[in-house]
Amino acid sequence: MSGDTAREVVGEYQYGFHDPENATIRFDKGLSEQVVRDISELKNEPEWMTEVRIKAYRRFIEMPMPTWGNCDMLNQIDFDAVTYFLRSSKGTENNWDDVPDDIKNTFERLGIPEAEQKWLGGVTAQYESEAVYHSIREDLEEQGVLFLDMDSGLREYPEIVKKYFATVVPASDNKFSALNTAVWSGGSFIYVPKGVHVAMPVQAYFRINAKNMGQFERTLIIADEGSSINYVEGCTAPTYSTESLHSAVVELVAMDGAKIRYSTVQNWSANVYNLVTKRGIAYANATIEWVDGNIGSKLTMKYPSVLLKGEGSHAEVISVAYAGKGQHQDAGAKVHHLAPNTTSNILSKSISKNGGRSSYRGMLQVTPKAHGCRSKVVCDALLLDSDSQSDTYPTMEIGNSSADLEHEASVSKVSNDQLFYLMSRGHSEAEAMGLIVNGFFEPFTRELPMEYAVELNRLLELEMEGAIG
Amino acid sequence: MMQYPKIAIPPRSEHLWRYTPWKRIHPTKVEEMPNADHILFSSGEDSAMDDSDEIARSFIHSISSVCKLVALDDELQELDLRCSGHICAGEINVKSQGNSTLIVRISGDAGWTGIRLSGEVKGTLSVAVVNDLSGEGHLLRCEDWAVGRDSTLEFATLSAGGFLNKSDIRVNLTQTGSELRGGIASNGHNSRHDDHHIEITHKSKHTYSSLVMHAACDDSSHSVGTGLLTICEGAGGSDAGQVFRNLLLSEKARAEAIPELEVLADDVKAAHGAASAPVDVNQIHYLTSRGLSREEASALIVEGFLMDAFRHVKNQDVVATLRTRLLVHLECLISG
Repeated sequence: MSGDTAREVVGEYQYGFHDPENATIRFDKGLSEQVVRDISELKNEPEWMTEVRIKAYRRFIEMPMPTWGNCDMLNQIDFDAVTYFLRSSKGTENNWDDVPDDIKNTFERLGIPEAEQKWLGGVTAQYESEAVYHSIREDLEEQGVLFLDMDSGLREYPEIVKKYFATVVPASDNKFSALNTAVWSGGSFIYVPKGVHVAMPVQAYFRINAKNMGQFERTLIIADEGSSINYVEGCTAPTYSTESLHSAVVELVAMDGAKIRYSTVQNWSANVYNLVTKRGIAYANATIEWVDGNIGSKLTMKYPSVLLKGEGSHAEVISVAYAGKGQHQDAGAKVHHLAPNTTSNILSKSISKNGGRSSYRGMLQVTPKAHGCRSKVVCDALLLDSDSQSDTYPTMEIGNSSADLEHEASVSKVSNDQLFYLMSRGHSEAEAMGLIVNGFFEPFTRELPMEYAVELNRLLELEMEGAIG
Repeated sequence: MMQYPKIAIPPRSEHLWRYTPWKRIHPTKVEEMPNADHILFSSGEDSAMDDSDEIARSFIHSISSVCKLVALDDELQELDLRCSGHICAGEINVKSQGNSTLIVRISGDAGWTGIRLSGEVKGTLSVAVVNDLSGEGHLLRCEDWAVGRDSTLEFATLSAGGFLNKSDIRVNLTQTGSELRGGIASNGHNSRHDDHHIEITHKSKHTYSSLVMHAACDDSSHSVGTGLLTICEGAGGSDAGQVFRNLLLSEKARAEAIPELEVLADDVKAAHGAASAPVDVNQIHYLTSRGLSREEASALIVEGFLMDAFRHVKNQDVVATLRTRLLVHLECLISG
């Protein structure tokens, strides 16, 4: 199918360009135990990791599809039509000039090297299954901060990886975490030593280029006692008429007094299934923050979660979702208060337009031993036309009488008064709508690094074009 | 032909059956169809009801030998449902017009009670349902209400009796101008398990609903409040709100709230909220400093909290009945 026809199917998309595939290794489509073994062998992994992968593959085969979210869309996934491993370059380069030209061009079009020079502490660029470029500022390296792609992390620091891998998100958690554990490739590995504060954000950029590609990155971030880190990730893919699958697993471990902020701006093209499991464990007085923006993809099912395991720990989840034509953004947050005096805040905002569907699915649990917990959940949704849908599925399970929890949600359309006010000041209706939408998402964008916030606003403006009339 | 044996047992992943699965509320083994005594109704004419493809409704229909019609025309009627025996069941058809009031009291010492109610509302109907069953009884209650054009259903329920209760209440706002004002108060004590599932469906434009559920949970009781508020396509101009609040009075008490919202139309207002909190120690201190015992102070706070669930109910007969029953119930708990 030609690019134009594909665009007709999935709509206009800023990052919908693609480059010719220059794969050095490409597996045949489909998944089997042999494919899993081959991936592990190709990467020269230790035996224990091969065993973990094989066990996870068997779990994946046994486990049923989730019965919630969008079952119709989930059942359309043809696991045999997916390519599970594709290597595009000979290895991970530390020098931008050594990256193959076609891949370099892609990331330059996405603005990655420019951003790195200006405001990043480190960057990993993943193209298809593996990282193609990786760098970290020297001062951070000197402080003992480890920031590698996950494959290198396993190779160079196997003892740390073995200690934490799949402890936060076990393979048995759900069908897609089992799949990821079986075929994972790429992702980031970060270890921040005790008391080190990484002031500048570190970034990972994930790009799918090939058709019917499956990207299964695995990210593990460990912030040791009293340390802090701000991790930002962005995702894009070309516009094809056939579907791709992105099924990542992210595990965060915040030791006593540590702080991890994990920000995502997901802008996959509208033919990507984005089925991601993200979870963090916060020990005493630690903080985990998920800042999660979902703009693209066909179906997103993603519920960043935090296990508040240590007394005084805190979780913060801010998520926004934009569901356009043919899109279902099933996003939310899960916070489990397992220890006393833990606190959490969840803010979810969504917009549905042109028949899109956005859902908030959340879980707030307070266990019997978790005294003095406080939590607040706010969900706001805007519906921009009568063809769209917005749902809220919150769950609150309270097992301790001292818990103080609040949940509130509202769904509405854009107020005519607000539109009228802005138009009376000279804005066109489309501009007024864009301003209102940007304002609606402002609690999210203000938490992002400035460049990301500007980019997000621009993306939203593009998405909002034609929203009126 | 009975539907029940053909209906698949619902999985716990279904919202409705998550906390009180069908296996738990069924009086015997799920594949069995036990013999049941019939509920004694204080009034009503003999009537009949169709079977259903929903498992709980079909089960009650299959074991019931009595169905009563309660027709209301601009009047107040009290209906006592006396439940006794090992297992008992019954069905009620309610047809209302004009400005009517129906006060239903469910009492008795039956081991297991199944009640299925189907109601049609034209005009305004205010309903009070009081669950006053003895402390060991199990109750399965299924209600389906259809509210007609420019009609209002005021629905208030006080759930204080029984050991294991599951209520599945569905209200369809079928035509323009139909309205629901609902209030549910649940008082949990000992090991009581009280599960309310409320589905409100806005099927037509300019329909209105407000629902408040308050649950006070003491001892090792467990309250579950699940709601599904759906605004269908074409139901523009609708306004819907749901609030679930839990007051936790003891370390071992548990409460679950899942107020779900599905909106398929724009130009609507839909909001829901849920909150759980312990008793304010300042309120207890204030009341005890005025001479009340700790139990009395707590009961007074619980009374105020539970009665607040009926804040949208305008019919004072209904509110007064519920207040009286609640006070008696709280008094009994204090005096043991």
